[in-house]
Amino acid sequence: MDEKVLSTEFEELLSSRGVTRRGFLQLCGTIAAATGLAHITVPDVAHAIEDSVIGAAEGNLFPVIWIEGASCTGCTEAFAQIDEPDPATVVLEMISCNYNETLSFAAGHSVEEAKAQTIKQCAGKYVLVYEGALLEGWDGWALRVAEETGVNAFLEAAENAFGVVALGSCAVNGGWMGSKKTPAGAIGCQALMAKHGITTPVINIPGCPANPEWLVAVLVDVVMMGVLPELNIDNKPALIFEQAIHENCQRRGHFENGEFVYKFGSEEEKMGFCLYAMGCRGPQTKANCGIVRYNRRRSWCVEAGSPCIGCCEANPMDSSHNWVDVNASFHERHRDLRIGNWVVQPRTIGLAAIGIVTAAVIIHGFGMKASKRLDGAIRFESQREWDAKHPNEAIGYYGADRTIIHEDGTKEVISAEEFEERVQADYESTLKKLGAAAASAVAGGVKAAEEATEATAEEAQAETVEPVEEAETEVVEAPEETEAEAVEAAEEAEDAVEEENEESKGGQE
Amino acid sequence: MAHFAQYREAHPLPFIIFHYINLGAFLTLLISGIFIHYPWLPMVMGMARGAHITAAIVLLINLFIRIFLALFVCTATSPGTRQMEREIKAWLPQPENRHQFIPWLKYYLFMKKEHPLTAKFNPVQKLAYMFLPFSFLFMAITGFAMWGPTMNWVICEAFTNLVGGLMNVRIIHYAMMIVNIIFLIIHLYMVITEGGIPLIKLMFLQREHGGYTYDIETHAISGKDEKEYPKLLS
Repeated sequence: MDEKVLSTEFEELLSSRGVTRRGFLQLCGTIAAATGLAHITVPDVAHAIEDSVIGAAEGNLFPVIWIEGASCTGCTEAFAQIDEPDPATVVLEMISCNYNETLSFAAGHSVEEAKAQTIKQCAGKYVLVYEGALLEGWDGWALRVAEETGVNAFLEAAENAFGVVALGSCAVNGGWMGSKKTPAGAIGCQALMAKHGITTPVINIPGCPANPEWLVAVLVDVVMMGVLPELNIDNKPALIFEQAIHENCQRRGHFENGEFVYKFGSEEEKMGFCLYAMGCRGPQTKANCGIVRYNRRRSWCVEAGSPCIGCCEANPMDSSHNWVDVNASFHERHRDLRIGNWVVQPRTIGLAAIGIVTAAVIIHGFGMKASKRLDGAIRFESQREWDAKHPNEAIGYYGADRTIIHEDGTKEVISAEEFEERVQADYESTLKKLGAAAASAVAGGVKAAEEATEATAEEAQAETVEPVEEAETEVVEAPEETEAEAVEAAEEAEDAVEEENEESKGGQE
Repeated sequence: MAHFAQYREAHPLPFIIFHYINLGAFLTLLISGIFIHYPWLPMVMGMARGAHITAAIVLLINLFIRIFLALFVCTATSPGTRQMEREIKAWLPQPENRHQFIPWLKYYLFMKKEHPLTAKFNPVQKLAYMFLPFSFLFMAITGFAMWGPTMNWVICEAFTNLVGGLMNVRIIHYAMMIVNIIFLIIHLYMVITEGGIPLIKLMFLQREHGGYTYDIETHAISGKDEKEYPKLLS
């Protein structure tokens, strides 16, 4: 068996390029890890690549068309930095990249011809990698190449493809070009295809830029193993976009320990603490950035000290759910809400709502006090309003005899009319007591104020403070301190009413 | 004595215990939630998350038990009475509530002087309380949709997609907290101004208090209880 493997044509191809068998298996391991496959699948990956590359010698490479939409070419740039396998290997030996505006050597008519031939001759057998957003603005008159609009070029290529890989957040749902400020009418591949009834399978790989390792992982699945990767509800590869960044973050320990960066340039930042307080979107953005990392697995955003800004957030069918609108302002706790031209954080609305309700409750409380309801001056309606107006359909029967349970537990039965009279009498006497208390309090206050103006400041102070302590002993002996009597009388009246209220305060919840 | 009598039948022991658990879980969720929202007190982050999730599960279980109890336990579904019915009746439209929604609003807004007759819960209050279980369930699903171990459950993922992503889930969770705080403010205010000390004593200590009595047969006030109730728990 060893002999069989060692003697493959593929082995010769590798050694001619200076690649050892060990190096090749390392590549397979990397791909398996990037796809999220277990290490036991490394031999499968190796066989897939071997088969494909052996096929390459016979001119059977899987054709790929790579079209740039409204993009910054960042995803291509990121892809150009990949090292295992390097871009040349991918483009020349793993796939047959027949069209790529950035990387193709050919230009002008000949490259457009190559694209047209691929679409025609390889219908249903090529993969379309689409980078950047599709623009529906300006009636679709955007991204024109060779007299064809970007939307039409995409639709034609997508319709005949084996699969469409929407590379980068712009291709997934418009990305930052879909944000509210732009007039471009940016839309993602899947949504545009759905609009035009194209059913070619779509694989969404969001990110700004998308991690090239993810693209290679998907290409291995699609091109070499001939299967679509397992996709989640958003048509994103499930193994890559299943867990939140927060779950695999290298700063997670600091999060659990409660060690946070509150300010850039601080000691905490130097210590590499968690960036949650700086608005990190890791807890709500699903991607395996922390595992795969960027730039040849050297580092990634959070490792480099930037809070995650959620660039992988993208709902393919809704371009208003683009990662910029969803996450800006990046250092705030929540996204900004827009009400017309007013940009506001949910916190402001929340605190305002609590403030308004608290103020309303306080004002209502003053109303309760002013209406004397708070002091117990409440009278139940003798019958329901509706019953009074509709006696024939009345809900309650109000004519039954009433039972009064006295303090000692004895019962007294009286007629409804008599009961109502007593209720009214109770209510009026409560009002009277409250009125008297209020009146005497006012009278006492006025009298005290009058005398205070006559007396000197010191005397007035002494007179208003002392009577409270000396009232009981001095009131009889010192008739000149009339204000003390008035104040005391008012206090007694108030106390009496309050005591009564406290005793009588009952009722429903 | 211008209030209804506070009888223990209105809030039997299981519901008193329910109320205590609710209070504890609610306050725990509120306080720990504030620390999770933003690490104001960083060192408690781990504890706050543990407490938050535990209290949420307690509140949820408590809610289901409460719904179960409402179907089987009998309580006084009207105020100032010892006549009991299945508790669920207090949550459904009762004869006592019919045509009383507008009068209640008018009373609250000082446009009506006389205190309307009522069931244990008046129509406005009933709507507010009916909103609570839905609010708790809504809080729970938004919470679980954001929590790592449960965020990929089908129901959570479907909900996340329905509302347009985890950021929106987070904002909804936050907004619901604001709504619940507003509920708490109004609840406390109403308890203090409408029921006062006697109601608080009944709800927390099961102490009874006299007042007007009510008859659920005639749907009207049936008299008055002026008895001196013992001060201590008996």
